[in-house]
Amino acid sequence: MASDKASNSNPKVAEAEKLVKKADKLTKFSFTKWFPDWTAATPLYEQAANAFKLAKMPEAAKIAYEKAATGQERSSSPWSAGKHLESAGGLARELGNFDEVIDLYKRASELYVQCGKVQPAADALDKGARAVEDVKPDAAVRMYIDACALLEEDGRDQMAFDSYRSAASIYIKLNRYEDAATVFLRWGQAADKCKAVQSQCKAYLSAIIVYLFADNFNLADASYNDCSQMDSFFKSDQNHCAVQLLSAYREGRPDEIKHVVSTSSVIPHLDHMVIRLAKQLPSGKVTAIVDETGHNGLDEDDLR
Amino acid sequence: MSVIDILTRVDVLCKKYEKYDLDKQWAGADSMSGNDQFLRLYTVVEADIEAAREKSQDAQSEKNRAVVATLNAEVRRSKAALKAEIPKLEKLAAKKVKDLSKEEMAARPDLVVALAQKIEDIPDGVTVGRRGGTWGRKASNPLEIKLDAMHPDDLMRPEHYEQTEESLALRQEYEMRRAKQDEGLDIIAAGLTTLKDMAGDINEELDKQMPLIDEVDTKVDRAAADLKNTNIRLKETLTKMRSNRNFCIDLILIVLILGIGGTLYTYSFSPFTPSFVCLQPLLMYQQSFAVTREQLSVFILNAIVSF
Repeated sequence: MASDKASNSNPKVAEAEKLVKKADKLTKFSFTKWFPDWTAATPLYEQAANAFKLAKMPEAAKIAYEKAATGQERSSSPWSAGKHLESAGGLARELGNFDEVIDLYKRASELYVQCGKVQPAADALDKGARAVEDVKPDAAVRMYIDACALLEEDGRDQMAFDSYRSAASIYIKLNRYEDAATVFLRWGQAADKCKAVQSQCKAYLSAIIVYLFADNFNLADASYNDCSQMDSFFKSDQNHCAVQLLSAYREGRPDEIKHVVSTSSVIPHLDHMVIRLAKQLPSGKVTAIVDETGHNGLDEDDLR
Repeated sequence: MSVIDILTRVDVLCKKYEKYDLDKQWAGADSMSGNDQFLRLYTVVEADIEAAREKSQDAQSEKNRAVVATLNAEVRRSKAALKAEIPKLEKLAAKKVKDLSKEEMAARPDLVVALAQKIEDIPDGVTVGRRGGTWGRKASNPLEIKLDAMHPDDLMRPEHYEQTEESLALRQEYEMRRAKQDEGLDIIAAGLTTLKDMAGDINEELDKQMPLIDEVDTKVDRAAADLKNTNIRLKETLTKMRSNRNFCIDLILIVLILGIGGTLYTYSFSPFTPSFVCLQPLLMYQQSFAVTREQLSVFILNAIVSF
């Protein structure tokens, strides 16, 4: 009904619908048509889709874009196909079909990979994830991580930083702190590969803070031990701050923890969600951690 | 030092110490005061005392403690110098000078004593039993080196190690200023860490964008080369298409067609044909074949315009 009204009021829309019908006819199998004529149909679909979009009819525009994308795919131009699918995805988000959004963006990304263009593929995944992150955070996170993996495979680690950041922020929002910390550690690893020392140190410090916020001192300590093996982190200010935090935790002094967080010069430069967590430290009960593993089986009386 | 410098300095010095230039001072004066060394020295010492007193007045009214200390030191120095003059005065006082009355002679030693007392009275910022910490003596006398200047009794006095109000105030001020400086330094440190962080981020961003720009560079180079090739090929094609020979052939053909059209019009003659008038010269020229290419083109253009 609405579309009828719209088509009545807007001659362009009517024209667009005509184009779609024409293109459909070209592509449908019939007695006279053994092979669908995509090369002729695709531009028609594109025109129609543009007209629908201008006329603010997202449903029809989306369908037209999808068909145009199929046409381009068949005509072996995956790049244009990917572009159309991205547009379709954007429209689907307006319509609120989030499953379809994910699907469309994933397909677009695959097409880009087919052309060999990794960066747009990752961008498509990012866009899709951003579109659905409020509604379907799990799927969004997965898409972010896939984007990171894509870029890392291609050797463009530095472009992955933004995706890592988004993924970690979603995990923190979902209160999945261990996962968030894992993402931060992966981020640190990626930064290490491309020698981005500052990002690396920030990522490691963020991981430690997240672990501490999750009340998981052992994991924090273990990850600190791992990270401190790296020269670039060891010599940084972030390392210093981490040492202070962990020692404050080990001694079980919440006021010291607060003092470290408030006077630290590096914590205000981390990502804002991590800063928020840091300001809420200590989050749980802080008791002095007794070093049980200190003796390592060596007994004082064992003087052999 | 150049000669001029030396001359100017000598002039300044002479002017400064004019009052000590006895020949100048007392030249033309009466012989009595010319010979009276006591009087001379007395007046000199008196003048010095006045100067020292003025300085001590300044020191008392001065707020800046460093300036106070300097002035006090100067006053003390002058006092010591004057005190050294006193024995000389005494000697001169005892000397007999001619043409001087008995009373005046008797009065002179008293004058000397009074002068000595005046010197003592000049306040120089030193109170009984020197107290105060090191701040009171910031600018010590550069010429005089006093060792063990403190009287041993003074040292044993308990007040010796107390703090005056002035030194307390100074210490407080010092602490306050230091605290303010610390605050300022903290702010600067915070700003610097922010700058450092931003600089690091900018650095990483630039590293990230470098390969992208390189890619863009190669692609643009490729596109430019393609364009260049295309342009050259297009030029070649155009020149081939638009050679003079073809142009003339086109012109002549157009002329022929127009001529044929014109003759057709004349055969279906109508005086209201607006083109008839223009075609007349064309027909005339067509009949005579001795025409140049340029004239033809000119008339054809006229014809086209009139159409």
